[in-house]
Amino acid sequence: MDQVFSLQSEARDGCVIITTMGYINNVGGEAIAAECRTYFAGGVKNVILNLGQSKVVNSIGMSYIIEVLEQVQELGGRLVFTNLDGPVEKMLAIMGLFTFAGKEATVADALAVCAREAVDQGRK
Amino acid sequence: MTADALQERLCAEVEMLQKAALRFSRAVTAKDFALLFARIATELFPGADVHVFHQPDGAAWWQSVVAGRKEDVERFLPAAGASLPQECVVRELEDGRMVTQGFADGTAIAVVCFRGPEGDPGTVPEHASLKLVALFCDRMYQEFHTRRKGKDLAFSLNQRILQLNSLVDSGIEIAKLDQHASVVHLALERAVALTNASAGRVRVQMGGVQIQEVVFPDGVVIADDQTGRGQIETEVEFKGVRYTFELHGKESRDGVLRFDATDRLLLDALARHVQALLESRDLHQQALEKEKMERDIAVAASIQERILPAALPDIPGYDIAGINIPSKSVGGDYYDCIPLADGRLALVMADVAGKGIPAALLVSSLHAYLRAYLESGVPLVPLVRRLNQVIYSASTDDKFITAFIAILSPLEGTLESVNAGHNPVFLLRSDGSVHELNAGGLALGMLALDFPYESETSAIGKNEGVLLYTDGIPEAADGAMQLYESRTPLKAFLQSHRDLPPRMFIDALMKDIREFTGDAPQNDDITALYLFRRP
Repeated sequence: MDQVFSLQSEARDGCVIITTMGYINNVGGEAIAAECRTYFAGGVKNVILNLGQSKVVNSIGMSYIIEVLEQVQELGGRLVFTNLDGPVEKMLAIMGLFTFAGKEATVADALAVCAREAVDQGRK
Repeated sequence: MTADALQERLCAEVEMLQKAALRFSRAVTAKDFALLFARIATELFPGADVHVFHQPDGAAWWQSVVAGRKEDVERFLPAAGASLPQECVVRELEDGRMVTQGFADGTAIAVVCFRGPEGDPGTVPEHASLKLVALFCDRMYQEFHTRRKGKDLAFSLNQRILQLNSLVDSGIEIAKLDQHASVVHLALERAVALTNASAGRVRVQMGGVQIQEVVFPDGVVIADDQTGRGQIETEVEFKGVRYTFELHGKESRDGVLRFDATDRLLLDALARHVQALLESRDLHQQALEKEKMERDIAVAASIQERILPAALPDIPGYDIAGINIPSKSVGGDYYDCIPLADGRLALVMADVAGKGIPAALLVSSLHAYLRAYLESGVPLVPLVRRLNQVIYSASTDDKFITAFIAILSPLEGTLESVNAGHNPVFLLRSDGSVHELNAGGLALGMLALDFPYESETSAIGKNEGVLLYTDGIPEAADGAMQLYESRTPLKAFLQSHRDLPPRMFIDALMKDIREFTGDAPQNDDITALYLFRRP
């Protein structure tokens, strides 16, 4: 069940992992965007958004996530969603986000994907 | 500046602007756009003291974007004015030039260029350059605006699809949930998310008293004084319980909005989902109970059918007839006429308190024990006392049996009887008088005490009969709930039809009851046994 919003973040292997808890609304969305901006300023380009403990996202929260996605694209990085609950995954799909962002079962999977892409980019 | 030089400079500026155009595609907000434009203007006019201001939609004030100081704003503001024409306007200032450009969405941009630090008049951009910059800015802003509108439209369309999809999904998911609280919580959660509400609450009330409160997000505190503006609510009711769904604080990126008609539709739809589910579960429960009851009735009917006599014995010198018409709910009526080894016969009429399988099983026990005791030759009064004990052991507290048990000695024409809490049995005398057989005691299985039953022995002469029955006859009701007994006392019916042989008497009695009750449903079993000694 969703509680009032909170988040945790950590940088690992060139990615910021943001784990959210609770309802992603205006407050939650703004907090995610602000957290990402801080990491982008520090040179991080990839974002892993673990939404496993957020079962509900409203469209204002969604607009902030789209904003993060646009910033990630501008930086040439990648946004990967993980631990998605059914309804949230469906929402992201309907909003068309999976055309530009990835989804993985776990944070570890997402880190592996980002690492592989970094290797591929290094070869190019 | 010569025409050639101006042309060359304008060409260079156009080229620079075209290169800069790519940067505009990254703008997310109008302010981002103004900021980008200010940077480009600073690059274009390197010697000039460039100031860029942005006027938000409908505002009478200017917001500094680049290098604008308060005193500069005060210097050019009278020239700019609060309301701008949409076209590009270049104004000559005492020590520079200013261009203003209004946009289609009501916002505007102003570029003010003063002479450079050395006061060189050549550092002030040409009139044509400023106009070019303003027109380019307008075109880029239109493009930016169109792109943003397109993005907003796509977002809004996706949001509508999402709302519809979620509404359908919610209906399915709500229907899958077992727990009442989960159903209400899920509906509230979806209503909050779909309408962009900050929080929601469902108050469940019965008889004006709140019995439950569900909130979303969990743990959020919604004070009662938060109700009013910025809130919508809807109510549904089911079986006297009222569910009030409330949504609070519609969110947007620019602050709190009022809920609109779509929000109300969504809230109503989700609340209605909950109501429909409660109704459908109730109907399903009723159907299950009805099905179980019908199964019980079928089983009970089958038990009852097995223990009721298929045919009554021939008794020399006597006629006997019986009937049992079970009601839809199948009660526990039982009658029998059991020949004993010594030529006597046992007459039994019994009625179990209760209906369905439990009643039928109890009757079945009575039938089995009675036959066993009769075969063992137990005298009538001890037999009834033993039956009381075994029925008490075999039944729950609310179950007991009223019974009339008699032993007929056909040759002697005597009837020894015990009435265990049953209706009085009528003994019809040849002179037309009716004597009630009441001697006995409490109904069987009512108390565990070794209750002293008493019997009475009556002589049955020729042209005399005994009518045993259950309360389904006197209590048969018509559509107005009037009882048969109130119109036709059974004793009087017996007296008025005393010339009829048992079979015909029973048929006449049933016909009379049917005429009285009409189409009214039969609420209890109707059972009768009539023994008549031939002349």
